[in-house]
Amino acid sequence: MSETTTSVEGMDDATRSGLKRLILTLADSKRLMGLRYSDWLVGAPSIEAGIAVSSMAQDEWGHARLIYAMLKDLDVDPREVEHTRSAEQYASVDVLDVPFPDWAAVVAGMVMVDGAITVALDAFCRGTFDPACSRIPKMLSEEAFHRSLGVAWYKRLAGSGSEEAKHLLRRATEDALPVLLRWLTAPDEVSSGLAAAGLTDPGDAQVAAFRDAIRGLAATLGVDVDAVGVAEGAWDPGRGRGSGHPQEEAVERARGDRNRMLFVE
Amino acid sequence: MREHVYDVFARKSRGDPLAHIGYVDALDDETARVYAWKTYDEENWFEMCVVRRSAIVPVNRDDGPFAGGRSEEP
Repeated sequence: MSETTTSVEGMDDATRSGLKRLILTLADSKRLMGLRYSDWLVGAPSIEAGIAVSSMAQDEWGHARLIYAMLKDLDVDPREVEHTRSAEQYASVDVLDVPFPDWAAVVAGMVMVDGAITVALDAFCRGTFDPACSRIPKMLSEEAFHRSLGVAWYKRLAGSGSEEAKHLLRRATEDALPVLLRWLTAPDEVSSGLAAAGLTDPGDAQVAAFRDAIRGLAATLGVDVDAVGVAEGAWDPGRGRGSGHPQEEAVERARGDRNRMLFVE
Repeated sequence: MREHVYDVFARKSRGDPLAHIGYVDALDDETARVYAWKTYDEENWFEMCVVRRSAIVPVNRDDGPFAGGRSEEP
């Protein structure tokens, strides 16, 4: 990847379509990540932890809004994308389809899920799409705080005397990793085309960066990230994720359906 | 898991005095950093730092607001 470009005029249709998928994948994942964090404003282990995840939820929704706005460069209306799509059309990473069941899963989510999204974001930032190059660095600086909190809590739970805490954390880690590895790999021509066009890093490079970022931490629970395989099952190249989708209830909240009738413009 | 009291200090501009703006309960220094930054984020701070209350050494009185922290540590 070298010089940035501000124009998408010269892109062929396949590259434009791939760029749209990448933007939607990142923005939808940010939107759902924020939603899952917001669930823990109440129920976190301390008031401070609740405030932190609430703030992180705001970060994620702000990031999502900025990433959706990049669609304008592709002549796609972000407002329509944000407010009219069904759950089946969401391109968010699979592991956010359901809520985090416990605090250990939230902690694993901070490190593993948010971490994988950050790796993908970083790769996009270093590509040739100018809006990504200019807007993503601030997001990455905010994500550093998310990782700090996640790592501190992960170490604390992994090193605690609570077998239940370690069991829940390990289970959340082992459940998420194969799915995240496949999501970053994105095993299709769209992904390889985006890398060839210089818009992001190849999937295997992103996977390597992700493994490097979490290797030491996962090892504290005896999880060897280099031995974890990629998830199997149906892959949806249209959305860059597995064939499932988020719960409809979550997408209704993301769209703001319930009270949107009160929104007077 | 035991938490510790951390006092939060910040200044808005380089030349401002560092002011005590509040406290957080945190597991360790790293969580204290994040909790402080995420809790007291209403200002665009030039500098923020946290200090574990138990590390504060009272100088002239033992009944000040920061004097009780030293009994917290083993």
